[in-house]
Formats: sequence, C-alpha cells, structure tokens
Amino acid sequence: MKGIKRFKVDTKELSQKEKALFETLVAAAELIAPLYIRQKNERYPGSNFYPPDATVKEIEKAAMKDPAILDPYTFVERDKSNNLVAVPFHIKFKKELKPIAVLLREAADLSENQNFSFYLRTQADSLLDGNYQKSEIAWLQTEFFKIGFVIGPIERYLDKLFFKKCAYQAWVGILNQKKTQEADRFKRIILASQRKILPGSKKVDVSKLSIRVDNTAIFSGLIADFMFTGTNLPNDVNLMERYGSSLTIFLTSLDLKFNQDHLPIFYTVFEKKIQNKYSETELCLASFRCILLHEISHSLIRYRDAEKRLNNFFPVFDELFAYILGIKACGTLILKDAISHKELEAIIIMHIARNFTWWLDSLKNPDVKHYAIGSAIAENFYLKEGAIKEKSGFLYVDLAKVFICINDLSCIMDHYLGLETYEEARKFVKEYCSPSVFKKFLPKLKKVVKKTANV
Amino acid sequence: MVEEKKFYLTKEGLARIKKEQEALKDLMLAKTRGESPKVMHSEDLNPEYLAFQEDMNFLQKRVSELANILKNIELIKLPKKGKKQIVDLGATIMAEIDGELDEFKIVGTLEADPASHRISNESPIGQAILGKKVGETVVIKTPLVNHSCKIIKIKYSEA
Repeated sequence: MKGIKRFKVDTKELSQKEKALFETLVAAAELIAPLYIRQKNERYPGSNFYPPDATVKEIEKAAMKDPAILDPYTFVERDKSNNLVAVPFHIKFKKELKPIAVLLREAADLSENQNFSFYLRTQADSLLDGNYQKSEIAWLQTEFFKIGFVIGPIERYLDKLFFKKCAYQAWVGILNQKKTQEADRFKRIILASQRKILPGSKKVDVSKLSIRVDNTAIFSGLIADFMFTGTNLPNDVNLMERYGSSLTIFLTSLDLKFNQDHLPIFYTVFEKKIQNKYSETELCLASFRCILLHEISHSLIRYRDAEKRLNNFFPVFDELFAYILGIKACGTLILKDAISHKELEAIIIMHIARNFTWWLDSLKNPDVKHYAIGSAIAENFYLKEGAIKEKSGFLYVDLAKVFICINDLSCIMDHYLGLETYEEARKFVKEYCSPSVFKKFLPKLKKVVKKTANV
Repeated sequence: MVEEKKFYLTKEGLARIKKEQEALKDLMLAKTRGESPKVMHSEDLNPEYLAFQEDMNFLQKRVSELANILKNIELIKLPKKGKKQIVDLGATIMAEIDGELDEFKIVGTLEADPASHRISNESPIGQAILGKKVGETVVIKTPLVNHSCKIIKIKYSEA
C-alpha cells in the first residue's frame, strides 16, 4: 500500500490485551498514509501544501494579510476569486480523521497504562480539533510504554518553499529494552560535556532528553517515504525547552538500511585496506551509534531563530550539523575510555557511507534532497582539505584529517545555524553542494544498491 | 617477581565488592546444599548436571576474581592538606576539554563509568591529568587527533 511500510516484529513480549492494542494502533497508523499522499500532491511535484501555480512572493503577500496561510497545519488553496486561502488540516480531512480518532479511543480503552491511555485520547482529540500542542505535551509526559506510537502532522520536510507545513505520519514500534539501555548510557556520556554557547546566538536549552529504541512494526506517511532511522521530537523549540525532547531510534529501518545500503556502499566505495580492517559487526554498531549521536545532537543545536532566518536552508544545516557534532563528541569519549579508537574510526567510515546513501536516496526521492545537500557539503569539505580522495575508482580516507575536518565543519555549521543570514547560507551551500563527489561512483554503486537500479 | 596489579577503590566501591563476594558465596552454598544433579542420565551426560557445573564454574571464577581484587586493593584516601591542589585518585575535576566544560571524578578501573561521570585513572584523560594542578593545560595525544585539557577546579570529598 502506498505510503506504508510494514516490518516483521516480535510481539511475544506483549500480553493478549497489549497485542490487541498494538493491532489497533497499526490500523490507525495505516489510515494516515492517504492523507500524506494528498499533502504531497504528486501530480505537481514540489508544490506540496500549496497550489501549483502559486509563487513564493504571492504566498508571502497573502500571509501578510492572513497568517494562517503559513501556519504549519493548513493547506493553501485558491477560492472562487482566485485568492489564496488557508484550510486547516483537521477541517480538510475531517471525514478521514474521524475513523482514526475512533481507533485511537478504542486503543485507549484497551491500554492498562493510564498515561498511555490519556495520551491516545488526547491524540484523538488533537487530530479532530487541530490543537496538536496538547497531544505533543501528553506524549512528552508519557513514560516509556512497551509500545511506541506517534501520529499526526509532524515533519516539515515536505514543505519545499518555506519549511513550515507539517506532513502526516505515524509509526508503531515495540520497545527494545536492551538497546534502549545502551542508548541511554551513551546519551548520558555525551551530555556530560557542556558545549560552549556561540556569543550572540539565541540558543535553546532542552530541559530533558529521553531516548528509546524500538523494533518498528509500521511506518506510515512521510516517515515511510523517508525511511527515518531515528527522530527527535518535538520540532517546536518552545515545547522542547519547556517539556524536553524525546528521541526514538528505529532499529528495524536502521538494520534494513545498513544491510541494503550502508554495507554494500562500504564494500563498493572504500579501498581494500579499509574494507579489510572493520568487521560487519563493528560497522553495524558504528551505524547504530552514528544515528544515535545524530539524534542526541539535535537537542544540543537548537536556536530560537534558526528556522526563520535560514528558511528552506535550515534542514540542510541542521541535519548536517547534527551528524558531525555527534562524531566530534566522540573525541572526548575516547579520552574517557567510553569507546575505542577503532570504534570511532568505524563511526567516521559509516558517516561517509551514509553520505553516499542520502545522495542515492535523493535520486529516487527528491524530498530528501536537504539530506543529500548536507552530505555533499561534508564530502566536498573533506575532499577540499585532502582528507578523502578518489583513486582508481575507490575512496581513500585519511581518518585523522577527516576528524579534524569534522571539528572545523562543526564550528562553521554552528556559526551558520546560530547567527548567519539566509543569503550567506545560500552562498555556502552553493560553494559546497556539488554532487560530483558522489557521481564518480555511480556506475559501481548501481550494481550493488538495489534501490539505484532504476536511477 | 611480577608485581600484582593494584586495584584502587573508594570506600563505597570496596563495600560493593565485599557485598558481591558474600552474595556469590551464599549462592554457591545454596546451590550445593541441596542434592546436586547426577552426572549421567541413562547412558548420556545429564544436561542438568552440565548446566549446574557451568553455573558453579562461573560463580567460582568470579569469587576468585573478587578475592584477588580484595587482596590487592588500595583504598582511595583524601590527600594531605598541601596536596589538595593536585589531581589524584578520588578528585572531582572540572576541566575544559577542547573548549567544552566537563566535570568528572577520577576513580580506579573497577569503578569507572563515564555515564556517571566516573573516569578511570587508566583512561587517556586520567593518565594525562594525574599529578597536574589547577590552571595547567595538558595536551592529550590520540592516534586521530590531539586534545587540550585545562584543569579549572579540583575538589576532594569523602564519598
């Protein structure tokens, strides 16, 4: 089914009642995908949420009169007089949202965990009345339950014009206790160091950060398209500041991406010496840590004005900075004997492999372009500094130089996210975003990565 | 003669090791008090006996390890008055590492847990700052990159 990805998940830890609850949530999640497809407006690629003929200027002008035009939770349409009007999601999709709310209330009745039950009822209300903040707060205040569940208009990546409007998505997963403990330990080590605040910037301090690792059962809506391996919510900095943020690692999609993309890329792109140095187990752990470090870092790089200032360039800088800041933090972890040198090396290698993955993904799904641009910036930066080089069809990596580059690039990203203007961000992206660094490897990659077969 | 490795422990660390040793001894006693499984079952080795033996070996090994630790421990003590400005085991350090502030306690390897701000004296940072004073900056060399660490504050407390 379009907009849905199902994964095999072991439910034997769940009681009969919890299994019923789980199935009800999966059914609710499935129903969100068609709404996402309509938000995506596939007939006119790139014009998601807005009429295909509307220009940025026209939308901005209309938003001056009616701020709801740029509200994260409205659709923009033309009325009979050809004027732009905002229609809230909960009104536009009222008919489709009702059965989802019914399922959520049924699930709430099945839950013996009162907090979770309260969250589900609040979520059902939010979908119908458009007050999404109250359900986000309820979610943040719900202690970890065996079943992980999120639904609603959440991520802004589909809004290519303003990075404001939220696309529908849902996921259901089952808590992986062992991996969650491991992730939590890692988080506490990372958070032990206090990052220096950039003078003049409007840094937001996140009050608390909880972390869970799930075995995913279903992705629906945007998350199925993007195949996230982790997420850090809420996106609203004010909510995050007051109620903290919650991070989820999707182990199932991470394993899938590791086996289908990261590993084949590793064996295709990197020179033999590197290939022989790291075992698949080491690389798999590094891949997990890469995403874990990335999501933890998201909580450390929030600036109150960054989204507004950088507009559609915000996700490029935000995602890249989160990736490299996490790796930078590993330097201190080595000093504390929390990880070994070889483990850090494997993390850097997987970071480079992931850059290739994002570029390949963007060829098939242009909506992930901001990740691909960020990846290209990193690769070009390393290339320019002589930290990586291509020779005879293979990538040679000077790991020490890459690590120094990561430190330097972190400072640059922090500066752009914390202080720089839209125009300066545009210039920086233009200078570093060339995909030629990846393109050289495309003929080889086509043979090994299934997804690129039709590129 | 090879000198045996010393294990540095705080008072609470020592109490924890002793408690673990007692608990393991009790467990071994409880396991052997009842009737042990027979070695043979029909003509084959009894799987219950094998499992029992495996458990006992594991417990015995850990009890021996703990005994060796207790034999070679050195209790971390508060330094003398004049030495409190020098980094030693048991010190809580506030340091600036590559421009980021960090606070941690230097402990022996057995009690090290970076997630709880307890760093081993044998870790790269532990080795580098032992014996250093407030205000000193040390460069810690690692195969990938050199780190700088400036000691901002040294604090000693009983716990």
